[in-house]
Amino acid sequence: MKVTTHTSTDTLTLVLDGELDASSAVVLDAELNKPEILNYRKVLVDCQRLSYISSAGLGVFISHLQRLQDSDVKLVFFNMQEKVFNVFEILGLDSLMHIVPTEQEAQAA
Amino acid sequence: MPKIRPSAWFLIAAGLCWLLLLLSTLSRGQPIPGLAADWPRWLLLVAQGGFAACVFLYMRVQPDALVGQNFIGLLRALFRRGLALSVALVVLIGIDRSAATHALPLPGNVTTAVVYTIALALFIVFLAQVLYAWRSLVNFRGGAKLRREWMVFELTLGLALLMQLLVWQMSPSLRLGVGIGLGLFGVYLSGHQRWVAYLNSSQKWQAILLQLGILGFTLLFLFYLRNAQADPVLLAPATQLSFLVLSSFFASFYAIAGLLITLFNLPIAEVFEQRRAEILGLQHLSQIIQRGQSAPEIYQMLFNSAIQTIKANAAVLMPERQPGELAKSPLTPLRYQFPTDDLELIASLLTPLPGTPRVVELIDNSLERSKRLEGSAMPYGSMAVLPLQSASHNYGTLLLLHKEPHAFDSEVLSILHTFTAQTVLSLENLQLAQESLNNQRTQDELRIAALVQERLIPKRLPTDDWFEISTYAQAAKEVGGDFYDFLHLPGQKLAVLIGDVSGKGVTAAFHTAQMKGIFHALMQANPLAKKERDRYPDPHRFMVQANEALTHCLERSSFITAAFYLIDYQAGGFSFARAGHCHTLYYHSIKEEVSYFRTEGLGLGIIRDVAYEKHVKTQFWDYNPGDVMVIYTDGIVEARDGDGNEYGEERLRQMLETCFYQSAEEINEHLRHDVQEFSRGQPLHDDQTLLVIKFKAAQPHT
Repeated sequence: MKVTTHTSTDTLTLVLDGELDASSAVVLDAELNKPEILNYRKVLVDCQRLSYISSAGLGVFISHLQRLQDSDVKLVFFNMQEKVFNVFEILGLDSLMHIVPTEQEAQAA
Repeated sequence: MPKIRPSAWFLIAAGLCWLLLLLSTLSRGQPIPGLAADWPRWLLLVAQGGFAACVFLYMRVQPDALVGQNFIGLLRALFRRGLALSVALVVLIGIDRSAATHALPLPGNVTTAVVYTIALALFIVFLAQVLYAWRSLVNFRGGAKLRREWMVFELTLGLALLMQLLVWQMSPSLRLGVGIGLGLFGVYLSGHQRWVAYLNSSQKWQAILLQLGILGFTLLFLFYLRNAQADPVLLAPATQLSFLVLSSFFASFYAIAGLLITLFNLPIAEVFEQRRAEILGLQHLSQIIQRGQSAPEIYQMLFNSAIQTIKANAAVLMPERQPGELAKSPLTPLRYQFPTDDLELIASLLTPLPGTPRVVELIDNSLERSKRLEGSAMPYGSMAVLPLQSASHNYGTLLLLHKEPHAFDSEVLSILHTFTAQTVLSLENLQLAQESLNNQRTQDELRIAALVQERLIPKRLPTDDWFEISTYAQAAKEVGGDFYDFLHLPGQKLAVLIGDVSGKGVTAAFHTAQMKGIFHALMQANPLAKKERDRYPDPHRFMVQANEALTHCLERSSFITAAFYLIDYQAGGFSFARAGHCHTLYYHSIKEEVSYFRTEGLGLGIIRDVAYEKHVKTQFWDYNPGDVMVIYTDGIVEARDGDGNEYGEERLRQMLETCFYQSAEEINEHLRHDVQEFSRGQPLHDDQTLLVIKFKAAQPHT
């Protein structure tokens, strides 16, 4: 999987490309672990090209969710494929995490 | 009669020949009473030849004088015998002299004749010993061809002896020709001095001195015999047997040739020795690998070998800790005559460059000019820094110092490179061996863990007339993260739990055991409950308490999905809660419809405080006979085919539509068979669990 980042003044956008499994989860975890991430107001996750997410991948978001919330950093997912959204939904994460259809909505959130 | 060894017959014959020789020699001097005068000359020659032949044959059949490669031992033994025989000769000469001055009551030349005969015998014995010692040396590493040549040489020597006996009237020119021919043969054989190469320099000096001694003894005998023959008192016939002359010529020539070769070998002996030391060092190193010793031993071996071989004046070896190696003992550098104070000076040379994992090889043959080690307490001339690294790993660095400048030429470096390469190989081998051992151990432990987990799976399924249960579980690895359990509660109730711990392997397996513990602990009857329905926690309560129990022991990035069902088959209904687990598939027999219970519920361990309460709900459902409930883990619906497509909820639903009327066991088999068909040829990438519960019409108790 490929993780690319774009930054604007108060927003960090992570673009996920490929399958987020146990091995790629490590890469993503390292990205989210960076201390400067708490300086942003928002972290947007572009899931358009995310074709699969394993429980290890979900675990990364779950483990950072609290930390980001504590620092008032919003975590917003957008452009999520239905298959991936299903996984979030089954686990009940859709009620816990901010998942929106489009980037505009994510920016506006 | 005691048995006499065949070789002893030669000695007896030699003794008889010698007596005959003595008598015939005596007979040629002044008349002795009782002894016929002037025995024929041929008899004397036969006695002489017979004695020589017997002694030589005796020596010939003796075991090889050379034991292993103990050349010096052989020469020393020969020298000692030569010395003893020479001393005997000198004593004999002394006796002869004193007999001449003090008139003895013996015929005038008897002592001389006796002394002469004994001396001749001693000489022949000495010659035979030398000849057969040389035989060992000539044939050392010589091969079959050389052995045959030696046999021919022996044979011609024997022929020369025979000729002398039988045809003593040989023409002088023929005799000369034969003599020169044999002499040249001897010279040719003297070229075989391979043994010299196996001596170190001190041994070479010893060999030279010992050979000089042996040569001296030979000359002493020859000198005496030559003089004795010229002695007017002794009218002994000339011992000009070609055989003896040729033997002593060969014995001396071989000694001289060996001596010269050894002498010329001396200057290059050091090179040979260095090579030997290298070879020995390499042998030692490779032996260490085979024995699979520890890394510190291998480092020590390299260190010692390198220092010895290049005669370094100081050295440091800095081992590198390997990834995965426990930092239980600090790695201390090996030092040889290197002052501790100077360690700081070289620290930067021994550690990898910043940003790279590699140490750079550095050869400095003129430290005085480069001033690289300026400030060192010791005046070193040259230095070599050799990294011990393979393509992927850095095992450490070896630093060697020499007082002389230009000590590390290409020759020396090639040796050192061989050493370091061998060391890296040894260390890698060792690591591989260690890894495979660890793997084995892990495998064994995993097998045990799998056994333990196997025991946690309920073996006896609850049975009743009201329902059928069928189970199927398959772990992707030795141990899995899926779990399920049943518990019969009083009052015709059945608690069913299924779940999946995120992640795989041993950690996940531990949490499955924990969930089983939580399940059994929470499903204990509460004796303080006032109402019957409060005696056991309802599904919502169960999930909240389980979530709380997991709060402190689940890693932050882990979570558990679970579904809990409390079936009351007296009332014909069940309550359930879903915590992030796969939706339950249900066949509704009255509506004749297969659908999923689409309920909400958050996985366990995601929110670790009271807020979780709001994220999970209890649902109720009344069932009818013939209803089928399919409970499973995501390993089922996420099973993939060769193209990476997922099995999916929809296919599972459609499959149940085709088989809901069968028994629970048959339905289970049908469904899992379809999943297996779908992912045929693909490795199992997640644990799979499939439970089928079929509700039946109440059967009247009989």
